[in-house]
Amino acid sequence: MLERSVDRRRGGHRSRPNVVKAHLDAIATAAKRLLEPPITLPYPDYMEARPPGYRGVILFHYEKCIGCSLCAQICPARAIKMYRVPGDKRLRPGYNVGRCIFCGLCVDICPVDALSESLVHDKVYEDVPSMDMDPVDWALWSRRVMDEERSPEKPLLRARLDPERGIVYEEAQPASSGGEG
Amino acid sequence: MDPLAWLASALGLPRWALRAVAAPLVYPGLLTFMAVALFVIWAERKMAARVQMRVGPLYVSRRLGGALQLLADGIRFAFQEIIVPVGAEKWSFILSPILAFTVASLAFTMVPGGPGVYGFRSSLSLIAAYAILSLVPILVIIMGWASNNKFTYIGAGREALVAVTGEATLLASMLAAAMMYGSMDFVSIVEEQARSHVPGIVANPVAALLFFIAALLVTDRVPFDLVMGEQEIVQGPYTEYTGILYALVMALDYLKLYVLMLMFTHLFLAGWAPFSDPLLGSVWVFAKTLALMLFAVFLRSVYGRMRLDQVASMFWSRLFPLALTAFALSALIHPVYAQP
Repeated sequence: MLERSVDRRRGGHRSRPNVVKAHLDAIATAAKRLLEPPITLPYPDYMEARPPGYRGVILFHYEKCIGCSLCAQICPARAIKMYRVPGDKRLRPGYNVGRCIFCGLCVDICPVDALSESLVHDKVYEDVPSMDMDPVDWALWSRRVMDEERSPEKPLLRARLDPERGIVYEEAQPASSGGEG
Repeated sequence: MDPLAWLASALGLPRWALRAVAAPLVYPGLLTFMAVALFVIWAERKMAARVQMRVGPLYVSRRLGGALQLLADGIRFAFQEIIVPVGAEKWSFILSPILAFTVASLAFTMVPGGPGVYGFRSSLSLIAAYAILSLVPILVIIMGWASNNKFTYIGAGREALVAVTGEATLLASMLAAAMMYGSMDFVSIVEEQARSHVPGIVANPVAALLFFIAALLVTDRVPFDLVMGEQEIVQGPYTEYTGILYALVMALDYLKLYVLMLMFTHLFLAGWAPFSDPLLGSVWVFAKTLALMLFAVFLRSVYGRMRLDQVASMFWSRLFPLALTAFALSALIHPVYAQP
């Protein structure tokens, strides 16, 4: 009712699209799309190659750590806490992945590069306590993550935006997280 | 020897009784419907996924493209606990979906599945099948009322409106077809089309289109999926159902769709027309019905949902008068099918 009176005030009726043609067009468009392949990354079978500078889980290199506790002080989520390790005079950082917000401040502040960012984000843990790691666990776990990075179990794909075909996936080489040297 | 006759003599039952049991239970009834529902729901999800450039169900039976996903879901539903809400009317809550499913599947006694494959042959089978189907909305409204939940109340209200709106047009277009053939018996309707070599969809395309659109409305398909409007009212009248009862109410709309598309095949696509062999004819009818169902579920990826008032005004002010026009048109077409 309202629309009709507005149209009259403008002095002329809006040109309506041909209803039958519009429906047929819509169905034809969907039918055309039906034949196109999906663009979803087949995720668990293929992994997406991460770009350099990706902020994944934090890795800890025990032998480089000087126990200054700067990382624990700067951590905004209190994911890093200092632990006393038996047989070690200094406090060492432990890591709770469940609390981590992957901001990378600990990596930036570490004076000896004992912390680094990995390219891995999608880790699965059996329960909540196993996400909270003490320094030794963290160092061992970090080594495992680095091994996985170097030789991924699943092939890596990198998404590229093709102007004609949309998103296309290409094979990619495993990259290292860079912070290990 | 005819397997049906052999079975009837083996069981010592009259042939008509066996027929009346076999039609709703085996073909075209529930057993066939199970296979159809598994395939059609899978195809619906797969087609919608393809149109949206997704993959769709895949990980259950990867080699078949996830075709057994629905079977896995069904098994899960079967073992799930049936939760009856505290405030619900217990027996209406539990019995209404079972009764609705039973009533809807009784329509198969009237709708034939092929030449000579039917439960009962009656001169009023078209109207009888329609009458059986139109009992279902009442039970859906009872479901919504018995669940004692705001969403189910709203869903039940919508079901009431949709049923009245859709079935007026559905009945008018159905009667237009009956007028055209001068018969309300599915078998003689198909025979008329076979004799004159003119399928109903050519003779009266308006009635066919309206029947299809109204069938989409009463079976709650997109763009008219108001009753189960997921983003608005959770699952409509079916919100509180769990376990096997949920599987029943979810299958209910597909069951209605299957019956209505079977009726569409007979009314407008000449049923089993070129074939008169029971097996070949049944396969031909089944193939057409399946193709229609696939098209109906494919529309999910084409349209959005219409608003309730838009649907009501479109049906009452445009499609219902058009259905009456189709009825008048049928009177003009009738000589094509009239006996010489």
